[in-house]
Parts: sequence; structure tokens; C-alpha cells
Amino acid sequence: MRIIYDNQLSKVDLRKIPQTATDISRMQAGHIGAQVFSAYVMCTAQEKDAVRLTLEQVDLILRMCNEYEELELVTTAAGMRNTKKIACLISIEGGHSIDSSLPTLRMFYQLGVRSLALTHTCNTPWAESSSKIYPFYKRGNNSLTDFGKEVVLEMNRLGMLIDLSHSSKGTAWAVLNVSRAPVIFSHSSADAVCPHIRNVPDDLLLRMKETRGLIMVNLYSDFVACGQKGNISIVADHFDHIKKVAGAESIGIGGDYDGASGFPDGLEDVSKYPALIQELLSRGWSENELAGVLRNNFLRVFEEVEQVSSGGRSAGQSQTNTH
Amino acid sequence: MGETPLIDGHNDLPWQIRGLFNNELNTVDLHTLNNTHTNIAKIKEGRLAAQFWVAYAPCDSQYKDAVRYTLEQIDVIHRMCQKYPEDLMFAASSGDILKAFNQKKIASLIGVEGGHSIDSSLGTLRLMYQLGVRYLTLTHSCNTPWADNWLVDEGSHPAENNGLSKFGEQVIKEMNRIGMMIDLSHVSEKVMNQVLELSAAPVIFSHSSAYALCKHKRNVPDYLLQKVAHKKGIVMVNFYNNYITCSKNTTLLDVADHFDHIKKVAGYQIIGFGGDYDGVNRVPQGLEDVSKYPDLVTELLRRNWTDLEIMAALGENLLRVFKEVERVSH
Repeated sequence: MRIIYDNQLSKVDLRKIPQTATDISRMQAGHIGAQVFSAYVMCTAQEKDAVRLTLEQVDLILRMCNEYEELELVTTAAGMRNTKKIACLISIEGGHSIDSSLPTLRMFYQLGVRSLALTHTCNTPWAESSSKIYPFYKRGNNSLTDFGKEVVLEMNRLGMLIDLSHSSKGTAWAVLNVSRAPVIFSHSSADAVCPHIRNVPDDLLLRMKETRGLIMVNLYSDFVACGQKGNISIVADHFDHIKKVAGAESIGIGGDYDGASGFPDGLEDVSKYPALIQELLSRGWSENELAGVLRNNFLRVFEEVEQVSSGGRSAGQSQTNTH
Repeated sequence: MGETPLIDGHNDLPWQIRGLFNNELNTVDLHTLNNTHTNIAKIKEGRLAAQFWVAYAPCDSQYKDAVRYTLEQIDVIHRMCQKYPEDLMFAASSGDILKAFNQKKIASLIGVEGGHSIDSSLGTLRLMYQLGVRYLTLTHSCNTPWADNWLVDEGSHPAENNGLSKFGEQVIKEMNRIGMMIDLSHVSEKVMNQVLELSAAPVIFSHSSAYALCKHKRNVPDYLLQKVAHKKGIVMVNFYNNYITCSKNTTLLDVADHFDHIKKVAGYQIIGFGGDYDGVNRVPQGLEDVSKYPDLVTELLRRNWTDLEIMAALGENLLRVFKEVERVSH
């Protein structure tokens, strides 16, 4: 929306968008009941205008979800359960968006953001990315600094989902030791099926199972088919593998549509999810397991994150202002 | 003051909290804090019923981290209200002010002081509204890319926008549309004129006084007071010595003179209180801190202000403006 239309919704009909993999009609065809939309700003905005750019992306999502009757913004698990429309949720993709400021994190939560990926493809001053494209904030032995731990605890206190997609393994392990609530990978796949820095290795899958977290499988060809175009079958292999290692209750779907270009045959856009479900059914997945993958596992994690936040109210809030 | 809430348009306690305590509310007791003009005990003594707390980022953060800085100040105001729920009630509407008044709590609103805080971004403006901000002072003492400040009139800053730029006009329209009050304290005279012409809703001066009595470019000249009256806006009188007597020595009587003058020139319907406590380092004898408002009211009564006029100045005028701004947005 930003690149093509400069966030001007008056220039586009969200029901039918020619240039993207996502629009409302295809979401309906794909039976999407809820979509987490990413408020993303580039790493090169870090230490510059990342906060303002992120606010503009959050504003865009709020406007999208307000202006179309098919969409409804939700900020709670209950809201997601009860809506009769396509639920919109907002996530922020990269800790650089909060400019090392816990108050900024809190204000994003107040605006309706319910998930934050700790890094995108760049390190922040307090957490490490799996990507080494950018030279700044190289970490020594501290993939998650003391302040990074404060960020995690503040997210627990607020009830904000912690998203480890894009984080380094060091950061992921550190977070899993600090967080009092389950965490997610919003769009990462199985490293054992396709080795890639963006994917989750088996030991981490096990730790996610232990902590009742969620791995939402990314459908992008590079991550599922390791350089080939791929097809539904290779994607289903990722699901099978994660089920074997971490259990069907640890799985969700995080397509990464419109965040990447190049998807497997049969999964070109958001209308194609049913074909994936069909394949899993044919591989013997039960309806219960699939209901989990489709939405119940996410709802479970979201509810537990909410419980941790309201349970922790007596623990007092972080007074730390800025790093 | 028991019947009508006293609503003050501008208090910089959040700025003091940042400077003194790094926004760490755990390290201060707002009931008894004693090196500021404001604390909760004094507010109660002063019968202050509603306060616009200022979220301010310094001008030299423009083009740098002004947005993030402003979010931090908005956050500290929210946390003040969360930490003192018996005394403070967060408010974001005219209705909320009355609700708080009925519950004998101090309605706490947010004003952002300086257009540089939105970084020329209407999306940011909208989200600050969503975070509860209900007025934006178009400039502090620096030009934005779309509006000139009062120092242009003093000659020390160049006029960059000839008042408001085209984008500045869009900002005004968007503020009208979303229901954000437009605050003209700190802007240049050209901006004052242009906004009073352009805005579909009444506008405010959250902390400015009468130019005729003290010729300071932060104050409002008589002809503009009349334009404000025509648009049914409000001028909330700033108590700062330099704006009241244009000198260091000032008393409560001098402040009452400003109230009298504005009433005479433009009518009692445009007057309000905008003390600027904790935003300035010199306040008048007799108005040393926020507990002293009643003494000013007593002086106005002594000068034969009627009850109707006093209630208007205390809060009815601001409530009228706020309701009209809300109405225009719907």
C-alpha cells in the first residue's frame, strides 16, 4: 500500500487490487478469518524516522480496517472469536520501530498493536537479527541485552505477542528463557526441511513446544523449497516435520504474502490456502489438528499472553524510560 | 468554583517530571512534590478541576527524535493518571471533563505543544488523537516546514512559510475533521489570521495574554481578540510575568487587568485560564503556584465580574469551544 499507493486508500479498491497477492475478494475465497497485518518500516530508517514511519503504517492499517465493512479491527482473543468479519490485527515488524523506548512500545500497544517482531533484517541496540546485511549494533556475546530483557518483560506485562521471526538463534534462545508467556514465529518454516537462517531448527522447535509457543509456517519459495519454486507438497512437508518434532498444537500459518515475491505452484496468493489444507487432510491430518493450525493454536497462545499480562499486574510496571 | 469546573489550558508538569525524574513516577510522590508549581495537594487547594497537561518535545529535536520524544511525554501523562486513579481521571472529551468533575477527580487531558511533534505527518496527527491528544499547538518557538512561529514577528527567525503553507492548510482541515483543537499560542501573527479565517471550528490560545497591556509577540492584539470572539474561540490567559507586565515584577492584580481588558475589548465569552505553570520560571506575586486560582477569582469578583462571567471564564467557555470542535468533526 505504501509503495504503490503512498497509503492513499482513495486510490485503490481493497476488494480487487491488481498488483498484490492480497485483496479482500481473494481473502474471502481463501477463507481467511483473521489476518495479522504488518506495520513494517525499512531497517535504514533505524535511528532516523522509523517511529514516525511506523505510526503511518499503523494508521494505514487502522484506516483499511475501518473503511471496509468486510474487515474489523480486533485487539483481543475474544474479539477475534466473536467477530463475524475478517479480523484485522496489527503487528510491527522490527524492534527498530520502537527506537529503544518502552513508552513508545506502550503507545503502540494502546493504538492496537498486538505483536512485535524483535528485529527485522538488522540488529537493534538490544537484540540480534538472523540477517547480517547491515553492520550496525553487531552483538558480541549478548544476543539480547539487559534492556532487551526489559523489552520482553514489558511486552509480557502489556500482553503483546513476541515474534521471533527474523531474530537470530541467540536472541530466540535468550527470549525463550526470559519470557513469561508463550512466543511465536509469525512467518518462519522448518530448518530441517530447508536450511535457511529464517527457518527454525529442531532444537528450537522443541523449546517452542516446551513453552507452548507457535510456529506459523512461511509459504515463500525461498524458505520452503530452498531456492526452487516448490509446490504444495514441499510446503506440506514442513507442516509434517514440525508436527513430528513439536506437535500439531505448535503450528499455524504465516504466509508472508506481499512481503515476498515468489510462491510455490498452487499457493500464488491468499485465495489458495484451502489447497494446502486439502493436502494436509490427504496426509492424514485430523480435523482437530487442522482446526488448530487454522486458528485455535493462535487463539490459545493469544489467550495465554493475555492471561500473563493481567496476572502480572501486581508485579508493577517497568519505569525504564529509554535505553 | 463548586458549580463550574476550573479548566486550565496549559501546564508543563510532565516536562518537569522528565527533567527531574526521567519520567520515573516510582521515584516521586505527586501529592507532595515540592519543587514545582504543581502537585496534587495544591491542585485541590486551588480548586483546579481540569488540566490540559502538556506533551512537549524541545524544538531542537525537530527532524530528529521529536516524534518518539512526544510519545514518551504522552505516555507519562497516561501513567500519571494510572498511578493516581483516586485523584486524576484521564479525559478526552467535553463529556469526560464533566464526568470527572462530578466524581470530584481532576480531569486530565493532553495537549501537544509544537507542530514539529507530528513530523509533517497527518498519520502521526491522527494517531496522537487516538492516544488522547486533544489540542496541538501549531508551533512552539520554531518554524515547522508548514507554519511560522512568533519569533518571525520579533525578527529573529526568517519567515519560511508566509504564515501557513499549503500543507499547513491541510493540517488545519484534518484537525477540524478529527476533532483536534487548534492552539495558536506561539504562532506568528500571520498564522493567527490565516487559521482564524480557515478553520471551520473555533480555535484556542492555550496560554497567551493581551498584547495591548504588554507588547510581547506571544500575546494577542486587540483586533485578533475580536476575531477570536467572532469565531467563538477562547484565549486562556498566561500568568508568566514577561507576558503580563513585560517585566519581572508582576502581581495577581496585573493578571486580573488582562482578564478585564479582554472582557472589555472582545467580551467575557472568550476568556479562560492558561497559567503556564511549570513551563515558566517567574510567576506573579499572589499566584505563586496552582493553589492560588481562587484568589484570582476573588479579585475578579471584587472587580464586579458577575457569576455568569466568572463561570464562563472558569470553564464554560472552554467547554463550549470543545463541544463545537467535537460537533464539527462529526
